[in-house]
Amino acid sequence: MAILTRRSVVRGSLGLVASGVLARPFIANAAAMTAEVWYAQGFVPEEDAAFKKMAADYEKASGNKLDYSLIPYAALRQKAISAITSGVVPDMIEVADFQLAPLQAWDDRLVDLSDLVAPAKAQFFSTALPSTYLYNNVTKKRGYYVVPTKVAAIPFHIWKSLVEKGGGKIADLPKTWDAFMDFFKPVQKGLRAAGMRNVYGMGYQLTANGVDPIGTFNAWMIAYGGQGLVTPDGKLHSDDPHVKDAVLKTIINLSTAYKDGYVPPGCINWNDADDNNAFHSKLMVMDFDGTISTEVALFHDKEQYDDILTRGLPLSNEGKELPAQVAVFGPVIPKGAKNVAVAKEFAKFMIQPTVLNEYLKAGLGRWMLPIPEIAKSDPFWLKEDPHRTAYGELTLIKPTLPFYEAYNPAMAEVGAENVFMSAVIEVMKDGAKPEDAAAKAFKRAETIFAKYPIAQS
Amino acid sequence: MTTASVIDIGGPAIGRQTLWRYWRGNLKGSEYLWALAFVVPYIGVFLTFVVYPVVYGLWLGSKPSLYTDLFSDPIYQSTIVNTILFVGIGVNLKMFFALMLSGFFMRPGWWMKALLMLFVLPWAVPLLPTFISIHWMLNGEWGLINNVIYHLFHIDGPAWLNTRWFALGSVIVAHIWKWMPFWTIILLAGRMAIPQELNDAAKVDGATGLRSFLHITFPLLANLYLICTLLSTIFTLGDFTEVFFITGGGPANSTHVLATLGIRDAFDLANPRLGVAAVMSALPVMIPLVIILMRKLRTTEVEL
Repeated sequence: MAILTRRSVVRGSLGLVASGVLARPFIANAAAMTAEVWYAQGFVPEEDAAFKKMAADYEKASGNKLDYSLIPYAALRQKAISAITSGVVPDMIEVADFQLAPLQAWDDRLVDLSDLVAPAKAQFFSTALPSTYLYNNVTKKRGYYVVPTKVAAIPFHIWKSLVEKGGGKIADLPKTWDAFMDFFKPVQKGLRAAGMRNVYGMGYQLTANGVDPIGTFNAWMIAYGGQGLVTPDGKLHSDDPHVKDAVLKTIINLSTAYKDGYVPPGCINWNDADDNNAFHSKLMVMDFDGTISTEVALFHDKEQYDDILTRGLPLSNEGKELPAQVAVFGPVIPKGAKNVAVAKEFAKFMIQPTVLNEYLKAGLGRWMLPIPEIAKSDPFWLKEDPHRTAYGELTLIKPTLPFYEAYNPAMAEVGAENVFMSAVIEVMKDGAKPEDAAAKAFKRAETIFAKYPIAQS
Repeated sequence: MTTASVIDIGGPAIGRQTLWRYWRGNLKGSEYLWALAFVVPYIGVFLTFVVYPVVYGLWLGSKPSLYTDLFSDPIYQSTIVNTILFVGIGVNLKMFFALMLSGFFMRPGWWMKALLMLFVLPWAVPLLPTFISIHWMLNGEWGLINNVIYHLFHIDGPAWLNTRWFALGSVIVAHIWKWMPFWTIILLAGRMAIPQELNDAAKVDGATGLRSFLHITFPLLANLYLICTLLSTIFTLGDFTEVFFITGGGPANSTHVLATLGIRDAFDLANPRLGVAAVMSALPVMIPLVIILMRKLRTTEVEL
């Protein structure tokens, strides 16, 4: 056994330091071929397996390495914000919400990926591009900061068996907005009469946290004609009479359904997963929730999977087609990333139509492909499965528009504060007058927008 | 003169040597190098994982405009009230019950030990599944609690998480349930250290029950009780788990405490500096508490 002496410790330490100094250039060279990637964990294991396969394919094709982590959505957002704030960033982060990228692009904390996205413009569906074309307040111009890889919209999910049990018929589902919502009221009464004490006709998030309530409020507001709340030039139109009227109608309709007992009272304080859990437990006939993760979660339970009807948006009350807001997600490269070249190369590999198609298909189609030509030609998306067909039509075939956050990051702050859904809650919970709640929400939105002026070119 | 010059020359040399020896902690030769080798990693870890994060946090929350934004936010104002209620009621009720229960568990008998083991379980189980389960149990429509109420009494229970005061009350009860066993054990250990002779002598003098508690047990436990309460207050001020997982700060952001508001501001609003400022705003309370705690820990009187 060697004897540890002071001299031997000093000698050993010096040796380690020297070898570290001499080896450093080679270590750095090896790292240059490795990109650190943070991606959102899937809702089902198949999504993660699909990402791992795509990463392995890239590694094989390029000879580079990907040091990737699959992180749950909420934790990924926290890690991303912490990393970008501290400046110690990975080479690629997937953004899986519609607030992070607009806010970080505004602060010039993301790499402009226009050189990557612009040449591939032709392959993407029309809303993919404005959704990722974000404003940078330092350069005072817009650029593509997100590589479009996934599309998400909000469909209705309906238990067919509960509708039948409540005395309704799926074939009778009305085509216009208000009539569609009203359809579930007698169904609820029928179910209650059949002894189902705590079942509700409608389910959606009426909370003041998370992104789900933003989608709910916007969908109702657009259905009532308030699509122009924020325009592509990034301006807020709180004085537009159509917008004002639509916001007021949304506040009244959402709060009235709640007060009348057609929405679970607990939805005022649901977290992101609560509506999924409640719907899966058949405690709500209808749920309005983003993507087809609700269905995909039951993919291996065929009876349940087939019992759900996925339905796009009804027509407006005037009988017109309504545009669905779609979120376009994908990777960003934060400024300060060490291996931008490898990250960009991986992103470029990823948006090859065949690669992206295989990746999203392997993830059970929870995310829609942003490339309509492939989606139309591959039966997987629009023919083989009724849920994917409805979802595909909602996102790619019928009219869509981006979430307002892409037009102006002020809307990300308005959304993070849930300014408009808070107005609904004030009416539901505190008995505020809808007009007063709407005026308060507009005032708050105007204050926030004043902090985000966008130069008009 | 010669003698004086010797003293003049030798004096400072002895002083320097003494100072050097004092600085080296009376260690000689290689002992000093070994001591350095052992202490340097600790200093490195301390600087990296304690000093740096604290200084970085102070720097993040150092802009005065952050506090203007914070204080003008109505959610912050209700958060301050919630924090005072959560910490004030939660900690004091928990410590009071723990003190009472520590007396109960002093009773002899194997069944008391078995009961103590069961009693400690809430503290022993992991935090997150516990609070997520409580969140579900409190669901007004489908939760376990209201279903039990309905099946027993055929009435609908309250919507626990739908109003501010019920939701905050639920969080306080969950906090007490979760942490009371730990403090009960600490106070039980304190009680067990009180010499039995004191109680025996008191019995001879006719002091039993409440009088024995008031005049013997509590005075001897007072310092420990105060230290435990201060520690628990400091822990609870920075704790976000109960509120985050049970109410999520809702409904409508009405049950946030400073720790959860910090998380909301940092990550939901994507404004980490504001989040740090929210948490930093507890420092004017936290620092005096730590100072009092340190002073109490220095107490040299014979107290438990």
